[in-house]
Amino acid sequence: MNKLFTGASVLAMTAMLAACSGEEAANNAEAESADSGSAVSGSLDFYTSQPDADAQALVDAFTEKNPDVEVSIFRSGTEEVVSKIQAEDQAGDIQADVLLVADSVTFENFKKEELLLPYKSPEAEAIDESFIDPDGAYTGTKVMATGLVVNTNEVKDLPDSWTVLTEEASKGKAVMPSPLYSGAAAYNLGVITKQEDMGWEFYENMRTNDITITQGNGAVLEGVAMGEQHYGMIVDYLVAQAKSDGSPVELVYPKEGVPVITEPVGILANTDNEKAAQAFVDFVLSEEGQELASEQGYTPIREGIEAPEGLKSLDEMNVLEADSVELLETREDDKAKFGEIFGQ
Amino acid sequence: MTLKQQAIGERKKGMPSFSLFLQNKKFYKGIGLLAVFLLFLLPVLRLVWLSFVNDSGLTLDYYRQVLQETATWVTVQNTLIIVLGSTLLALVLGVVFSWIVAYVDVSGKRTMQLFIFLPFIIPSYITTLAWTQFFSGSGPVAALLSRLPGNLEVPNLYSIGGIILLLGLSHYPLVYLFTVNVFRKIPRDLEEAAATSGLSKKQTLQKVVLPLALPGIASGGLIAFLSNLDNFGIPAFLGTPSNIRVLSTYIYEQVVGFGPEAFSRAAVLSAMLGVIALAGTLLQWFLLRRSRVTETARSDSQPRIFLEPMKRRLLEIALWTFLLVTSVMPLIAMGALSLISAYGVPFTLENLSLKNYEQVFLNDSKPAAAFMNSLKLALVTMAICLFLGTLFAYLRFKSPDWSTKTAELFITIPYALPGTVFALCMIFMWMEPVPGWNPGIYGTVFILFIAYTTRFLVLQVRGSYTAFLQIDPSMEEAARTSGAKGWAKWSKILLPLLLPGILSGALLVFLMALTELTVSSLLWSSGSETIGVVIFGYEQAGYSTYSTAFSTVLVLGILLSGALFMMLGKLWDRKVLKAK
Repeated sequence: MNKLFTGASVLAMTAMLAACSGEEAANNAEAESADSGSAVSGSLDFYTSQPDADAQALVDAFTEKNPDVEVSIFRSGTEEVVSKIQAEDQAGDIQADVLLVADSVTFENFKKEELLLPYKSPEAEAIDESFIDPDGAYTGTKVMATGLVVNTNEVKDLPDSWTVLTEEASKGKAVMPSPLYSGAAAYNLGVITKQEDMGWEFYENMRTNDITITQGNGAVLEGVAMGEQHYGMIVDYLVAQAKSDGSPVELVYPKEGVPVITEPVGILANTDNEKAAQAFVDFVLSEEGQELASEQGYTPIREGIEAPEGLKSLDEMNVLEADSVELLETREDDKAKFGEIFGQ
Repeated sequence: MTLKQQAIGERKKGMPSFSLFLQNKKFYKGIGLLAVFLLFLLPVLRLVWLSFVNDSGLTLDYYRQVLQETATWVTVQNTLIIVLGSTLLALVLGVVFSWIVAYVDVSGKRTMQLFIFLPFIIPSYITTLAWTQFFSGSGPVAALLSRLPGNLEVPNLYSIGGIILLLGLSHYPLVYLFTVNVFRKIPRDLEEAAATSGLSKKQTLQKVVLPLALPGIASGGLIAFLSNLDNFGIPAFLGTPSNIRVLSTYIYEQVVGFGPEAFSRAAVLSAMLGVIALAGTLLQWFLLRRSRVTETARSDSQPRIFLEPMKRRLLEIALWTFLLVTSVMPLIAMGALSLISAYGVPFTLENLSLKNYEQVFLNDSKPAAAFMNSLKLALVTMAICLFLGTLFAYLRFKSPDWSTKTAELFITIPYALPGTVFALCMIFMWMEPVPGWNPGIYGTVFILFIAYTTRFLVLQVRGSYTAFLQIDPSMEEAARTSGAKGWAKWSKILLPLLLPGILSGALLVFLMALTELTVSSLLWSSGSETIGVVIFGYEQAGYSTYSTAFSTVLVLGILLSGALFMMLGKLWDRKVLKAK
């Protein structure tokens, strides 16, 4: 394909000149800010899958402290954000500087492709080591457990175990997000099938029990809250929010334990503004940033900051663990096997 | 046949008015074709290219791999069944409705038109939500069936049949839009002549009316076919629970399954989808080859068929029942959800609030900004497409040779691809159009203009082309011999005749661009949020109550402007056509 463009060398020359002068300007800017000794400056591209309002609030709080940094947000579903970055990489230049999306497996994949810049934030010391990549490629920012949502109009005795999804009584009355569409659901699939007492049998039993599969967590909440289904597998904060709005739903953390995604944050290797990117990561992990997460309705990852009402904090949860590297290795197979089990 | 050849011959003779073009014809043709290639095909080729390369160079491995999997062929089979079924449904509904609106004497046609549009304007996730509730175990259909004798079961919407039903209902307005003006233009005396030569009404319909309406039916059918092929929302919503995949959803699954092979496999599947789209376009050409050029008549919206009062009543009741169920029900479901304070609370007065509207339009500044962005995008895209699309349709009509046909094929492809895939193509192409050179288009609002224009241009081309097909070349001749040239020819003769058809295309482009979702969700950047991006964001965060509030206002706004648009159309009819 490149050959198509040999004729356009003049354009390319112009572009190179433009690029050089641009770089120079950036260097100058960096030098200036170093001279004045003030905080970081310049522009940052922030790609995230957090809900729009939450991402905006985070950026606003950050720029209040660092007024010289201009942050542009791209927000979409994790799957779309990941595709966009892959496409940008394919096209020649990743625009994002900082990335904050669903789970560690996604980051493990980018790390493997050497797209991430290692950074060990001093703020990460207050965070459980198991949520931090040993090489500093990414750090968890929140704790999002996947538990059960129950419709309280239809169900009087709250279940305490995942097995409710496979029992005769809930046949055709349960719902879960599809791992083929949702990255978080794919993570859960990997973790649950690697637990000794659950494994693939759990998914096979859910299939036998006619569980409904939806695209994402939002649809699970809708189905259960509206009474279409009685039980659902879902990320915790959605339930807490809906309950506080008045929906007839209850959140249950099953006794076997819950898979947890951490919405990690990481810096892209070809960032144009490393300093600002690092400052941003520091801010997300700082006490202030974590307080903000808690206010927004998420369980913070930093020790010593309380979880919002309706959610358990990290030390109250029984976390189902699995190795991110291993999860990445098996993800494609896991998804394929899921497709087979739920295929017709 | 000889008549047709004669017509073509005359058409060719009619060219001198375009002499400047003819003199440098080869040159301009080359430039034009190259531009179309660069803008429409190259972005897609850049994706398809990925299906041929791996780390070690050129390879056919991805094709071998994908083509050997059973899942691929099951998906292709599902896609063909679903797309053909839903296109057939859309054709039948679209043709029946346009014929009734054009010919039969029923009251309230203008209002009817607006409601025919609704299923197309209401976002497909709302439509599916409304229909699944309608057909759910606790819904009205189940209640009705339980009262009837026999053990009737509620039809399962989460099935191939369900997907066909909802796709067909969502896209029949496209067929309607392209066909209704063509019906109106079929000269009344032709039908009368057929009647006096002893043809029954049914025979007249079969032998005279339908063949003459073919250009419109084929254009509308093609657009409905392509829309069914690229639709993601309905098969994703209804197919996921029962594990029915079509190409658009399967491609999405590949794209989001990361890893170096993701795009390559998606590219193979996209190429297969492209082949299906091309087959549809070729079939449509084949059909149009048999269509005849009619005498030019200006559109005639007076009814031609009068029914006995009793029959007329019955027909009206049947039509409105259908429209209420297919158009108004989803709208009401959407409105109801937007008024409720939280999911699952009973629908009583105390639980109703405007809180969602307050949140969307007062507390959050993004939706209003997004609305303005989308409106600007839609208006500009419509204007560009209106000009370029009509110009191209004119060229295609004037010189239907290989170059314009090839160009038309190129223009069709971006519309047939699933939005996510097309957005990826845009990234591949426009981030560095020439490797190493980033012109700064990607990441700004300009990428959206380019994406929308390339994606939706085909709608305008089809609309305008259908309009040109309705004009007998003799009209242009007559204009020329009476001394009308250039602008005068266009403004006095051609445009008034063409306008309804051209505007139908423009309206489609506008509506599509206004509510576009999948392409913008990958291409937008801070400050250029669109309506689709905001709705997508709400949906993903689990706030359907917000997105329905936004959509309700949007749909009501469109209905209102639709009413206005029709009034203007009426005014145009009166002022311009009478003045002539």
